[in-house]
Amino acid sequence: MAVRGVDEKEEKKSYGSVFLLGSALLVVVTIWSFWDDNITRRPWKKYQAEFYRLDYRKARAAYDEENKKLAADPAYQELAKKLAAEEQSLEKGELAKKKKELESEEKKADVRFKDLDQEVKFIKSELEEAWYEHDHALQQGRPIKPYQEKIAELEARQKKLEPPVEAARQKRERLKEEIKKLESGVKDLKDQLAKMTGERDKWLTPMQNATLIEKPFVVYKIPSIKQVVLNEFDRNTFDQPIARVDRCQSCHMAANRAGFENEKQPFRTHPRREVLLADNAHPPEKFGCTSCHDGQGPAVSGVMKAHGEVAPGEHNYWEHPLLRGPKVQSNCASCHLNVQPFQDAPLLAQGQRTFEQIGCTGCHLVKGYEDIPKIGPSLKRISAKVDPSWMVRWIENPHKFRPRTRMPNFDFKENDAVAIAAFLWSLSKEEGDKWLQEHPMPAGVREGDKSLAPQGKALVESIGCKGCHGFAEGEFSTTVGKEKDLIPNLKDIAAKTGVRWIYHWIKNPRDYFPATHMPSLRLTDAEAAAITSYLTTLGAKAEPIAGIEERLADQKYIKRGESLTRKYGCFGCHDIQGMEKESRIGVELTTFGSKTLEELFFGNHTDIPNTWDDWTYNKLKTPRTYATERVEQVMPQFELADEDIKALRTLLAGFQDRKVPTRYLADHSQRAVQVVEGRRLMHQYNCIGCHEIENRGGFIRKYYQENPALAPPILNGEGEKVQSPWLFGFIKQPFGIRPWLQLRMPTFQLGDTEVNTLISYFNGLSRVEIPYAYFDEQKVPKEHLDAARILVTKDYFNCFSCHQQGEKKPEGPPEGWAPDLTLAGNRLSPAWIIKWLQDPQKVQPGTKMPSFFPGGPDNILGGKDDRQIEALRDYIMSLGRGAPAAEKPPAKPAPKGRVASR
Amino acid sequence: MKKISLWAFLLVGLVALPLSDLLAYTGGDVKDGGTISGTVKFAGTAPAPKKLEVSKDKEVCGKTAKTDQSLVVSNGNLVNAVVSITDIKTGKKIDTSKKVKLTQKECEYHPHVLAFPAGSTVEIENPDGILHNIHGYSKVNREFNTAQPKFKKTIEQKIEKPEAISIKCDVHGWMSGWLVATENPYVAVTDNSGSFKLTDVPAGSYTVEVWHETLGKTSQKVTVKGKEDAKVNFEMGKK
Repeated sequence: MAVRGVDEKEEKKSYGSVFLLGSALLVVVTIWSFWDDNITRRPWKKYQAEFYRLDYRKARAAYDEENKKLAADPAYQELAKKLAAEEQSLEKGELAKKKKELESEEKKADVRFKDLDQEVKFIKSELEEAWYEHDHALQQGRPIKPYQEKIAELEARQKKLEPPVEAARQKRERLKEEIKKLESGVKDLKDQLAKMTGERDKWLTPMQNATLIEKPFVVYKIPSIKQVVLNEFDRNTFDQPIARVDRCQSCHMAANRAGFENEKQPFRTHPRREVLLADNAHPPEKFGCTSCHDGQGPAVSGVMKAHGEVAPGEHNYWEHPLLRGPKVQSNCASCHLNVQPFQDAPLLAQGQRTFEQIGCTGCHLVKGYEDIPKIGPSLKRISAKVDPSWMVRWIENPHKFRPRTRMPNFDFKENDAVAIAAFLWSLSKEEGDKWLQEHPMPAGVREGDKSLAPQGKALVESIGCKGCHGFAEGEFSTTVGKEKDLIPNLKDIAAKTGVRWIYHWIKNPRDYFPATHMPSLRLTDAEAAAITSYLTTLGAKAEPIAGIEERLADQKYIKRGESLTRKYGCFGCHDIQGMEKESRIGVELTTFGSKTLEELFFGNHTDIPNTWDDWTYNKLKTPRTYATERVEQVMPQFELADEDIKALRTLLAGFQDRKVPTRYLADHSQRAVQVVEGRRLMHQYNCIGCHEIENRGGFIRKYYQENPALAPPILNGEGEKVQSPWLFGFIKQPFGIRPWLQLRMPTFQLGDTEVNTLISYFNGLSRVEIPYAYFDEQKVPKEHLDAARILVTKDYFNCFSCHQQGEKKPEGPPEGWAPDLTLAGNRLSPAWIIKWLQDPQKVQPGTKMPSFFPGGPDNILGGKDDRQIEALRDYIMSLGRGAPAAEKPPAKPAPKGRVASR
Repeated sequence: MKKISLWAFLLVGLVALPLSDLLAYTGGDVKDGGTISGTVKFAGTAPAPKKLEVSKDKEVCGKTAKTDQSLVVSNGNLVNAVVSITDIKTGKKIDTSKKVKLTQKECEYHPHVLAFPAGSTVEIENPDGILHNIHGYSKVNREFNTAQPKFKKTIEQKIEKPEAISIKCDVHGWMSGWLVATENPYVAVTDNSGSFKLTDVPAGSYTVEVWHETLGKTSQKVTVKGKEDAKVNFEMGKK
């Protein structure tokens, strides 16, 4: 029947094929979407599944290997056999019978005990009831006698039952014991076997951890995201703390597991796992991986995306690409304050030392490095010091005169150099002339007089000048970076300055420049004259530049010089009159490491890859390389070694000004701050030129290889060794503790604050908890002093054969002597003396002091070594405090103890 | 400093590892062994030995005059040179149960050079009755510095690994000697006539090395036949 408007044909048309196609498509799309969602977009699943297989197979193989070993071990076989026999016997044999008997007896005993016990419990209930009735009657005024009787009767019954209950209990326990004994053979054997199979069975845990079921076939664990959330670790653009999500371990599953060292990535064990990932260092479940390695922590949709790379090692457009190899060191400083001692961050440590010492902070402000003093000499009296022609050439290019100098090359034209020299000259003329008037030509040495030079050379080589300065080509002490000298080499010093200045300078450096790091060596006039004479033979006088005097006095030059000095920021490193308050001319670098590519100006370079790394490297290599016709750049050329540039870059990359929450921070205690500050000061004064400190330095020792005993003392562990008050006095006013040394500990004329900083540094390094402690002489047992007085004699340890004792000097030449023991009471820490006497070689390898212990004499203090050592400590501490070596204590009471370190 | 010592360590390690593998020595019974004997001559004229100043404990140390022992030549023969076989792998047993003796008589080491197989214990005597200390500047073995006061007549020091160790007494600066520990038991020190003898050497061809504290090293190939004496003479001079 046809209805109008309805196309019957249309109604009857079959859409089956369309539906079929549609549902087929739906099925395909559904499958595809599942596939895409679970497989394509989750590549980490593949890795995780692969890792579970790997983990299981490795553990399985190790298990089988151990199992094979056990199978081949006759001891194991025998034990296993014994156990089987014992078990057999316990189940069916002789033992089984006995066990059965015992068990049935035990059951009976148990029933008997429980019956009796129940009876007692009932009596107790009845007693409760009786007491209630009794109390009730008492309160109502009824007679209580019947109840008293009832109670007495019940108590008697209870008492009577006590022994049989106890007997029944004991019988039951005895039987239990006996059964246990019967079984103990099996238990013992099982324990023994477990010990043998421990090596094998430990592999069961990883096998279980990698699988859901192992039997009858292996089903591996289903992959799941392994994620670490570091709350408040990062900051968003509004400086609000946000969490960091780190999913690296979804693929890198063995980073913190031993035994995967030779697997391919991502399954390899971290190469420094034991040191860096250990529980007390950076457990990855707390720190994740990105806190050191960067990368895109939450990204799991592809290896390149997670690593923040375009291709392995290429990372043009990612802000936080993965840091591989030494680059990781950059991030240490985000949480650590004291990075210098890190063995795993040598590049960072070197970069930091270079940064602090090459003068970067003169022009660039960086948080945490604000207080580093200007590294160059003062120019306030420069006209009294240098030859003007030399000065012009030096300004033109300092590297020409001293390739290893820290002063960078500004690439000035001669005219500009003259202008700057003229400005500095005019500025310093008044102060300089005044200084010259006060410091006349010395009487002991004349210009050009070489007669004293050999004597001066001998002094330079013996009193310690070489701890800082070189005096010939190739001679150097402490270097900044790889090939810069911290302290100038003086091989051409005659070209720079003359007799008058040198003489007064070496006699008292702070007189010319109050903030200098050069110390006084307490030279006599004659010594200063000899050294001056020697120094003026090093190099030739500078060739004068024609008409230099007039040009230096020319107002045009002077004016131009002033503007150049301001433009190039000379005052960043040097004290210049009237420019004390100028601010740094360079950009602040506090967040330099987080600069994005848009913030870096590549100039017209198309040859430099567009990455932070490449930009920074080339900037340090050729500082003005990004200059264009329109954009001028003023940063000077330092001519750093490639290695130094990379080290500096490592440090700079870490300049992120991160605000990491305290719980992630390493030691930022006052002690850590003091160590960092003290080390900086120690570097500035170049203590490590002579002394080995923190196992670094002691550069002067290379001149004493023949006889190391004549080299300056090694100061590793100094904080633990000496008393802080003594050290304070000694640094303030050094004196010879070791009479055999020709070297002189210089007087640095440090301020109180600086000395305290150094002492806190030494104490911090040695972890000295309490710098002041009381050594009570009154409490020293007389027995100890008596014993020690015998121990130090010739018949025993003969201490004074080498040790000086006040005025009493040992026999033989001074190089065989040892420190004055009368100084020890005020100088040494009593606890250190004990450690020292126990094993001197351990405290200071190579020392001349032999070990006397173990093996003290049998007839003193019961032959006990530790008591003898304590006695010697007490004696040494009291020596030089009024109690002479082999005499009776003085009649007058000794001072009542005193403050001593620990 | 650290870097250098690290490199030195690596270098020593590199050199020592394969060598120690090659030189691993096993001892056993030697039947019909031969001997190696000869003399070590000094080339050129020997300088007159330097007199040493006894500056301390003169009542004991000053009894005899002291001369520098670092180069002793008697009638053209080199005394105190250490002769050893460097490349022998099997031979007589190493007997480390027997202690080797070093005496510090009148503030001088006797003998001046003491050679023995590594693993031996040196028994150090102090008949002087004054304080000595024995300071071994070892690099391969652990450095030691032990005091030997009057009441300790003898002390013992075991030398575990092969090494020539310079020994000094820090109390008496002039005292100097050597402890030479070797890989194998074939070692001798030349006597006053510059001669030496190595016994019980299995037949074979070996490298015989002479080491002297001042003159350094020299070596020769020697072939030993059973029950026979192989003669070999050396000559050493200042380089």
